[in-house]
Amino acid sequence: MIEARNLHKRFGKKVTAVEDVSFTAEDGVITGLLGPNGAGKTTTMRMLYTLVRPDRGTALVDGVDVVQRPQEARRALGVLPDARGLYPRLTAREHARYYGELHGLSGAALDKRVDELLDLLDMRDIADRRTEGFSQGQRVKVALARALVHGPRNVLLDEPTNGLDVMSTRSVRTLLRRLKDEGRCVVFSSHVMQEVAALCDRIVVVAHGRVVADGTPEALRASTGKDSLEEAFVATIGTDQGLMQ
Amino acid sequence: MSGLSFSVFRKELKDHLRDRRSVLTSLAWPLIGPVVFMVMFNLLASWYRQDRPLALPVVGREHAPSLMAFLERYGAQLEAAPEDYESRIRAGSLDAVLVVPDDYAESFSAGRTAEVQLVVDSSRQSARQSVLRARRLLEAYAQLLGTQRLYARGVAPELAIPVRVQEADLSTPERTAAGLLNMVPLFLVIAAFAGGMQVASDAMAGERERGSLEPLLLNPAPRSTVVTGKWLATVVMAVAAVLITLVGYMLVVRRVPLEDLGVKARFDAPAALGMAAAVLPLALAASAVQVWVSTYARSFKEAQTYLSLLMVVPMLPGMVLALSPLQPKLWMFAVPVLGQEVLAGEVMRGEPLGALPFLIAGASSLLLTVLALVVTARLLSQERIVFGRG
Repeated sequence: MIEARNLHKRFGKKVTAVEDVSFTAEDGVITGLLGPNGAGKTTTMRMLYTLVRPDRGTALVDGVDVVQRPQEARRALGVLPDARGLYPRLTAREHARYYGELHGLSGAALDKRVDELLDLLDMRDIADRRTEGFSQGQRVKVALARALVHGPRNVLLDEPTNGLDVMSTRSVRTLLRRLKDEGRCVVFSSHVMQEVAALCDRIVVVAHGRVVADGTPEALRASTGKDSLEEAFVATIGTDQGLMQ
Repeated sequence: MSGLSFSVFRKELKDHLRDRRSVLTSLAWPLIGPVVFMVMFNLLASWYRQDRPLALPVVGREHAPSLMAFLERYGAQLEAAPEDYESRIRAGSLDAVLVVPDDYAESFSAGRTAEVQLVVDSSRQSARQSVLRARRLLEAYAQLLGTQRLYARGVAPELAIPVRVQEADLSTPERTAAGLLNMVPLFLVIAAFAGGMQVASDAMAGERERGSLEPLLLNPAPRSTVVTGKWLATVVMAVAAVLITLVGYMLVVRRVPLEDLGVKARFDAPAALGMAAAVLPLALAASAVQVWVSTYARSFKEAQTYLSLLMVVPMLPGMVLALSPLQPKLWMFAVPVLGQEVLAGEVMRGEPLGALPFLIAGASSLLLTVLALVVTARLLSQERIVFGRG
């Protein structure tokens, strides 16, 4: 479970990236962080996964404070960050193994876990190829494999389907549903409404660094009085800029 | 070493060793030293070699038959000088030309000082030995005649030589050799920097540039272990470069005609071990500073630029030491780079040093290493470093 509490972050004196963001992402639920480009989604995610220190507020990952005990919080998190660079001279399997080792796995347990992931992500055929020249979809799979190698209870994904083709997008969606069915807490951010609508049980709409709506898709429609989800988003944010694919 | 550092270390080394081109660059660099050394030594030896007859072109040979006979008796090969001898001397195809003026015979017979000209280009190192031999022969002839003339007048020749200078050369064969071997420490120290340069740029600046630093830091491994692992991979390459340089020199010294120069080089196994003990601690410090600089650089290219500049640092004291070896003082050993260069130079010269200078030099390198690693680990928790500076 992830709780964000009044997160606030400012860069320099002028740019306020996140004004005040609070929400709770439950286990066994896919929570979507939806907002136009520049709304503060990535900065919010970075504060959740401990690489950016909030100026005010904090977040709890399974009750562990990310500001006070970042290292422990990282243990409970699996993250697909905004930057998902790979090592071109290492194979897909070596990527997963490296991250597994950094999480303290080793020996037969690590082998077994990596094999499971390669099956789960349907990447047996590319497992022992160097990642140089991989397609976008293959790259995201490698990044997911290394993010999930330690079997985290909480999964954070920053724009996971960005730049993917239809087939890759489908397999990412399948994976997220599966993680949810396993009872994990899944949070992903997106600026694509269709994406969020197709997957999320709960939607947190962020605009200008603030949470402007928070609830199930049905609740969102009901509160704005609009029939379609799309109309509901536009009404919530006040503009449709940056929301459409 | 913690297991996590070892994982980072193993990954970095594996990653780097798969990049054949950059590994070759890292390891070919140190070989430049021994190769330059071999070429220089062979050149020097060919200049200094004594068994070559002295070829001396002469202008106006017919004016001084007895001088010519003397020169030939002492092994000079006389020949007629070509017309354009001055430009040939400048170009280096002639070492020296003897000019006997028309009035030589007249002055000589009259008992006045007769003049001959030795035309040389003193800026030419390669001609120096021939010029020296020609001058010695001419002086010997002058002295011989002077002595004969004094005898003929019933004067003891000693009267004309109130003081005779005798040179007592104190330099041992090892010292003379070291004079020529002075660039060895410089190249060893450069190897300590050159070996790890590629890994250091790739492991930090490269990691951020390709977008893999952010995911890497998401692991629960402490920053210090990540930095330690990357540093160790850099150290391995730096140490490899130093050892390759050392072995290169040992092989080259055996194939170089040192005997022709009348020197005996101390480049046996104990000397090599001593030099390794002198320079290897610097590999630790150099690698740590390189990782630090690379963390600070905005891109892989920028890191390479900075690290190339960093390689100039050992060159400055190294050049000075190669040209004029300093009298070593204890404080010098405490200055990283300078300390190693002085130390390796002393070992090569066969000076007994004792353990203290090694300990001082090692300790100062270790101090610098720890400082650089701690600062780097701190840098990695700064957002502007992790996400790049805008």
